[in-house]
Amino acid sequence: MSYLKVRTRRADDALVVYIDGYLNSLLGEEVERVVQEALDAGSKKILLNFEGTRLINSIGISIIIDIVEKIMERNGMLAFCSLSRINRELFQMTGVARYVRAFDLEEEALGYFAQSA
Amino acid sequence: MRLIWNQGAGFSFRAEEFFGRDDELAALLRVCLEGKSGIGASVMIYGPPNVGKTSLLLKLKYDLQTLADGAAPPRPFPFYFSFSKILSHPLALSQHFLQEYLWQLLVFLGDSPPAAFDIDALSDRLGIYGLIDCREFILAHRRFTDRGDGLSALVNAFSFPFVPGGEIFYPVFLFDDFQYTCKLQNIPDGAVLSILRPYIKSGHFPMILSGSSPGHVTSSLKREGLFGSFQLMEVGGLSPAASEKMWTSLFERRKIQMPGHIQARAAARLGYIPVYQRMFAEEVSFRDAQVTDEIGFENLFALSITEGQLNRYWREFFESAFPERMLRARAIKFLKRVVCDQFPLDTFEGALSLLGTSPEEGGEILSALEFKGLLKSDFEQLRFVGDPVLADFLYWAFERGVLGKSSSQVGAALVQAKLSRATAESTEGSREKWVGVTKELMRRWDCREVPMLLFRFGSFRERFGGKGLLEVVIGMEREPQKMRLPKISSVSTGYRTRRGGPRFDFDLVAYGFLDAEFSEENLVIWAADVMTEKALTANAVEHFENRCRLLSLEKGLKPEQLRKWILFDGSVDPAALERVAQYDIFLSHRSQMRLFLNLFGVEELDLTPEEHKAPEFPPGAEPLEFELVLPMKADTEIVAARVAEEVAAYASLDKDTVDRIKMALIEACINAFEHSGAESGKVRLRYILSPEKIELFVQDEGKGFRGGHGGEESKRNRGWGLKLIRELVDDVEIATGERGTVVRMVKYLGHEPGKEGAGSPGPE
Repeated sequence: MSYLKVRTRRADDALVVYIDGYLNSLLGEEVERVVQEALDAGSKKILLNFEGTRLINSIGISIIIDIVEKIMERNGMLAFCSLSRINRELFQMTGVARYVRAFDLEEEALGYFAQSA
Repeated sequence: MRLIWNQGAGFSFRAEEFFGRDDELAALLRVCLEGKSGIGASVMIYGPPNVGKTSLLLKLKYDLQTLADGAAPPRPFPFYFSFSKILSHPLALSQHFLQEYLWQLLVFLGDSPPAAFDIDALSDRLGIYGLIDCREFILAHRRFTDRGDGLSALVNAFSFPFVPGGEIFYPVFLFDDFQYTCKLQNIPDGAVLSILRPYIKSGHFPMILSGSSPGHVTSSLKREGLFGSFQLMEVGGLSPAASEKMWTSLFERRKIQMPGHIQARAAARLGYIPVYQRMFAEEVSFRDAQVTDEIGFENLFALSITEGQLNRYWREFFESAFPERMLRARAIKFLKRVVCDQFPLDTFEGALSLLGTSPEEGGEILSALEFKGLLKSDFEQLRFVGDPVLADFLYWAFERGVLGKSSSQVGAALVQAKLSRATAESTEGSREKWVGVTKELMRRWDCREVPMLLFRFGSFRERFGGKGLLEVVIGMEREPQKMRLPKISSVSTGYRTRRGGPRFDFDLVAYGFLDAEFSEENLVIWAADVMTEKALTANAVEHFENRCRLLSLEKGLKPEQLRKWILFDGSVDPAALERVAQYDIFLSHRSQMRLFLNLFGVEELDLTPEEHKAPEFPPGAEPLEFELVLPMKADTEIVAARVAEEVAAYASLDKDTVDRIKMALIEACINAFEHSGAESGKVRLRYILSPEKIELFVQDEGKGFRGGHGGEESKRNRGWGLKLIRELVDDVEIATGERGTVVRMVKYLGHEPGKEGAGSPGPE
């Protein structure tokens, strides 16, 4: 169904993906699809913005891990931003936090991408 | 050629000597058999050393072999391989791994493998079965070996078994002592996992890893991004029933006689751990001992701990874990504080400061303990094994090494402690509970009226003797004679009228007021004793009355201001009943208490001690209970989360706590959806909010938690759900019964989450 459209935005050579709502398998797969498309189209820098994420479940986390792996395989860059406290904690518990830098603000993350261009 | 032969464990394993662990075996078997349809789940088994992980794997292998005979091909080929300290050189390991695989495969195919352990000969024979791929692998392997390229040789050897077995078989990997893969020479940590990674990720090969050091292995799993693909299974002691069966078998063979209740006691003392049971049986038989009573058992146990089998076992363990004496002494001293004295400790920093050494040395000790499986380090939180035998051994080692006592002195102290503690525990435990529940009950009295019969055992028995509970309840409602209870302002145990004065030992002394007004005229004191002895004797009543009389004298109480109440279990002497009437003592039997509790909505007597000891529970604040039934539809778990939010609003919880509760609930619901077989089923949730905690129950109608109902979702989510729940709430319990699985989660609302975390015993 189309209500699961994932908003995205280009910022220079990076793609910002807005994850709004409940990150479960449905939304997760949509995010995965969007990221995959971007990678296939040659994008190297992906920023996941969790500002609108209300909840994440374990399947959502597994999908995020898959995304992390995919991007690492292609030597891309991935960052998170605007994580709520519980979500930040969740990524720490699951070990995802070790592989991905998380920023408070979208601008900070984009700045980090720009620096390492 | 056959220098290192690692099937030792395999040969000494005897299936008929394996007991219990039915749930674990069933779950593992299911995982293994899924391999037939190309679904390969990965499980990591962990637990303290020698708790029986290897036996579990070998039993699984045995079951797979025997069960596969009749089934249609492809059959599961259980390949058991144990990593070990000896095989730390990658070339040796890869060579051995290949040999082992070929050898076991030939045996599996029904061949009698060549006696000479020669790779070429083995692979030639395999050719007979149409398995010709191995030739190439072996040639490549030889090239790497000749070049001395250990890593490539390893890659080659470990990839080989994943060549499809075709129609005949599919491999099931049982890798034992996996922690040793982290200690290979000149090979980075976790290289073996990197090699296995694609095969694990492919999800086609059932793979069971086992090790005593989950920390090492899980951290490599995480590095490889594999952690989520693993289900974790902790192995502890056996169930008491399985332990007992094991005694029967051990004793029969050795012609040992031991009374049943001693067997139960012995099993509990040994932590229900099979290897201890075996050693203890050997001890009995070696010493030709007769164990007929508690004292005999405790003596023999102490002897074994101080100079016998159990002693030798742990001494050798520590000698090999800490070859250096100083470190060993430090480690033992440290562990004694933690395991034996239950010093609460759960952080790395805390451990270092208790060790009192340099961070480097402390780190070395802790990492050795971790590697050996005595300590589990998970997300920076330390957990030590709660092994009763180890605790006693440490006591011995400490008393002897540090305080210089002789073994027999220590042994005597052990026996003494065990005998006195055991008698206190068995009766005290239930009595304490009962006192606690009564205390809770009294706090809720609040000037209510109850049937007098609740306090008059004699009349109660006359009226209701032998009747069903329902009948009694209905009869009680119509009871004309009522008694108005006071409003209780405080309940304590024992009572001292003034500083230094004589202490009046009652189990409970309650201060109450007959009206809501707290005035001197309204004051009543209730003195209550709980008697758990088999029979209530006239003497006991007499003794109670004497104490009451003294109390009322000291306090200057009028007769109607002191209420005397005996609660008892069991039978009552006619003479005692007479005295009770004569002194106007209230007497309630446990069955009356049950009605009483029912009346006030207090839980049954098997309330756990922590719960009824919470003194902060304000009188009148009943727990809030909510229920919710969810249909098994995608995303309905959101409803559960939203209700949690609303429930939490009653307690004005902080956002973090609410978020954690929501996450935990969502995971529990998803698990329930996945694992309960019925598609039309429902998931029932209960939320119980009390001042000190929020309790959540999630019940499905399925048949077990780790059930293997395929589906894309469950594959992706594998292993995460429970793991997260454990992180998010303070206590988790999972019970599977006839009517489904219930997950109970508790989040304490005070500021001391999981205060029992540090000292809680591991097994059981």
